[in-house]
Amino acid sequence: MIRRALWSVLALATLAAATACTSQDPGTPPGKSGPPVYRPGTLRVLASSELADMEPVLKSAKAATGVTVEFTWSGTLDAAEQVASDKADGRFDAIWLSSDDYLRLRPEAAGKLSSETPVMSSPVAIGVKPQAVARLGWKPDEVTWSAVHEAVAAGKLTYGMTDPVRSNSGFSALVSVASGLSGAQAALTEADVATARPKLKEFFAGQKLTSGSSGWLATAYARRGDVDAVVNYESVLLSMNSTAKEPLTVIRPRDGVVTAHYPLTLLASAPVGARDAGRALTEYLRGADAQKAITEKTFRRPVTPGVAPAAGLGEDKRRELPFPGSRAVADGLLASYENELRRPSRTVYVLDTSGSMEDENRIGRLKSALTDLTGTGSSGPGRRFRDREEVTLLPFGDKVKKVLTHVVEPGDPGPALDAIRKDVDALEPEGGTAVYGSLKAAYQHLGKGNADAFTSIVLMTDGQSGDKVQDFDSFYAGLPDGQKHTPVFAVLFGDSDRRELTHISELTGGRLFDATGGSGSLDGAFEEIRGYQ
Amino acid sequence: MRRILGIALAVLLIGGVAAVVVGGLKPDTTATKTVRGVIGSEKSDFFRDPDVIKALADKGYTVKTETSGSWAMNRLALKEFDFAFPSSSEPAQEMEASAGLKGAQTARPFFSPLVVLARPGAAKVLADNGLAKMTGKNSGTLLMGPYLKAAAEDRTWQQLQGSGPYPELTGTVFIKTTDPATSNSGALFLAATSNVANNQSVVADDAGIERTAPLMRKLISVQGALEPSTDDPFRAFVSGSGEPLILVYEAQVASLLLQKQGGAEIDSMVVLYPDTTVNSPHTFVPISDKAKDLGPLLTSDPKLRALAVRHGFRPQEGVAEFTAATAPHAAYLNPGLTGIRQVGAPTVKILMALAARAKGEKHQGEPV
Repeated sequence: MIRRALWSVLALATLAAATACTSQDPGTPPGKSGPPVYRPGTLRVLASSELADMEPVLKSAKAATGVTVEFTWSGTLDAAEQVASDKADGRFDAIWLSSDDYLRLRPEAAGKLSSETPVMSSPVAIGVKPQAVARLGWKPDEVTWSAVHEAVAAGKLTYGMTDPVRSNSGFSALVSVASGLSGAQAALTEADVATARPKLKEFFAGQKLTSGSSGWLATAYARRGDVDAVVNYESVLLSMNSTAKEPLTVIRPRDGVVTAHYPLTLLASAPVGARDAGRALTEYLRGADAQKAITEKTFRRPVTPGVAPAAGLGEDKRRELPFPGSRAVADGLLASYENELRRPSRTVYVLDTSGSMEDENRIGRLKSALTDLTGTGSSGPGRRFRDREEVTLLPFGDKVKKVLTHVVEPGDPGPALDAIRKDVDALEPEGGTAVYGSLKAAYQHLGKGNADAFTSIVLMTDGQSGDKVQDFDSFYAGLPDGQKHTPVFAVLFGDSDRRELTHISELTGGRLFDATGGSGSLDGAFEEIRGYQ
Repeated sequence: MRRILGIALAVLLIGGVAAVVVGGLKPDTTATKTVRGVIGSEKSDFFRDPDVIKALADKGYTVKTETSGSWAMNRLALKEFDFAFPSSSEPAQEMEASAGLKGAQTARPFFSPLVVLARPGAAKVLADNGLAKMTGKNSGTLLMGPYLKAAAEDRTWQQLQGSGPYPELTGTVFIKTTDPATSNSGALFLAATSNVANNQSVVADDAGIERTAPLMRKLISVQGALEPSTDDPFRAFVSGSGEPLILVYEAQVASLLLQKQGGAEIDSMVVLYPDTTVNSPHTFVPISDKAKDLGPLLTSDPKLRALAVRHGFRPQEGVAEFTAATAPHAAYLNPGLTGIRQVGAPTVKILMALAARAKGEKHQGEPV
């Protein structure tokens, strides 16, 4: 009881103290806490996570306008779902996504948006290591998506890209590549996607890194040294370059790009005071000073006449590839990517089912969060385990209790999803907390079987480990390089030890997710992790 | 316990500071009355202009605006606003009906014709292939007959002579418009193109819809996702996007020229006036009593008229004012609209039916 009271006070303090925005460095795990409560002078914004780099600009905006921005990060599709399904009403005052294009494909969104104001722009580009550019004999200004495909198909280029279902940069890349490889002359149609399918499959065989957000992709790419290129916003690539020892060659493919315009969009449901704050903020951001700061600090392109783009932003024009004009085409493209085009995933859930999971119905929450991932018959793209995905549940107590593996059959996902649900339902809380031994077992499991897959481990524990960290560290150090690339996504839950889990995620190149924020937070964390698997 | 109290105090303190800052910076001066309006986005720079704010304050108004597609305004809760200011007269009539404002005294302070903005390369290729005619270094006429014929045949830039040197000129030739179902410029684009496709007459019946709908569908579907307002493609153009042809209001271009904000972008800009166009005045619709005199004020006050011109609009009965102000920019503009055929718009019902068909919907908002 006392603990709970303290928590709520602390949570309030954190919110009030957040000035311009909460940055998403490894110290502040995503997934925590629900959206803030409306207070005058603040704008609650559902936003694309790469906008964390706007912090200095928003600080100046606060000084000039008195408006504080409180960001809650979200993927583009998820944000569209929240707005279209009324869930954003009353919880957010504005949305600020890289693009509203997908949202506008939902007819329910009409009438929910007002004052949609593009603030800055950045095309999705490909950053390539200079050695790879030289090896391929590329002239950066002349590279096309077709040339990138040829290099990948010939085994000469590998790359990282975000998950198109969770992140707009990945979605834009998917649209660009599908346009380039289908020879589409106008907006993509289902027929174009079908035409491009064989080449797209070859193209995505070269994708070695995936991520739920543009920001984490940059981090993961820097950590891996054996990937040649990364597909991301031009702005993110140039920001990476500004601190990198070895800058990437940033290529805007000659046959066209998809550009993000970052429209700051007020929700019609927001209180009048919030809409006033939003308008003041928008006016500030479109002013010449802010535009200059934006382009110089974030490498996005200014949209106000007379403000020059920062040095390093190429000025020659590129065709703007149309974004699909219907939800059928957009969702069809995403579903193809998920279930057919991308390399399959092999996913292990290392699940603490120790005795303490009985407390506060933790085991019930775990079961519900896992069951959600199996989706329903009519699940949209990204709402269930993918076709071809190998899902392993590894419940543990004092030791690994079971290793339960199911593969989702393409065209007949039902049986595997049913079997996963059944296994989840049978989980029983009993015993201690052998975190490290169980993680070892997960790596050993992934070491066998298909190596050409996105492998990842999710670790959920509600307590401190009963076994030794040193054993795990030396075990990890002894893994072959290929296996070291398997990240652990650790979930803070119940009384789990933040330091312990931070160590594991950092060691393995994973990420920490916070599910201590009350009901629904575990579902949210598991759902968010899907983008990284 | 002491710790909790400390934190709680800190919260109060921060909250207090925030409130003071906000209150301090956003004063509602007592001398003016605040009126809230929903406007088409192309007018938001006008209402943000400090001189406009001052001129309105001198007359007793603080005007706060939000933007919306003109044809989507009546989907908002209009009762929250004191006025609406869509970009043409057609949706204004709809709003009067839906908000129960029958007989409201609307005003028509200014208008602005639609133009197609191009880069010099694209304009040259269009002209060399008979789809446009240059009338000056930075201006020309878009020949709607030949242009629509090319669109009907899915002509690509690669198929046009002379497009080779420009990497951005690939793919189907199209004009980037806004969503015709929600935004005025997109709707008026269909009004003009359907007129041309309907043997130069206003579409007035089902037969006319059937006759023109396939071409309308083509003009819209090639674009994929549609823009909500002309502000988006215009800003994209300014930020250097490679979109070859975009539909905007003349006011957006004229404003850029008159305020000399453009820099390098101005030189690489060609303004093509479609040879067939629908001109419809931006129409001020008072919703509450507070705003009923604002429309007439915008229409008649000399200072506000001059400021409207500064933002590129053509005030009511104001050809002379507009021509004089834009004289230094004659290379870009066509103040007398010479050689442009002005046609009427179809009824709102027919225009919305055309928009729905153009978007591949049987009826508005309903996919086929």
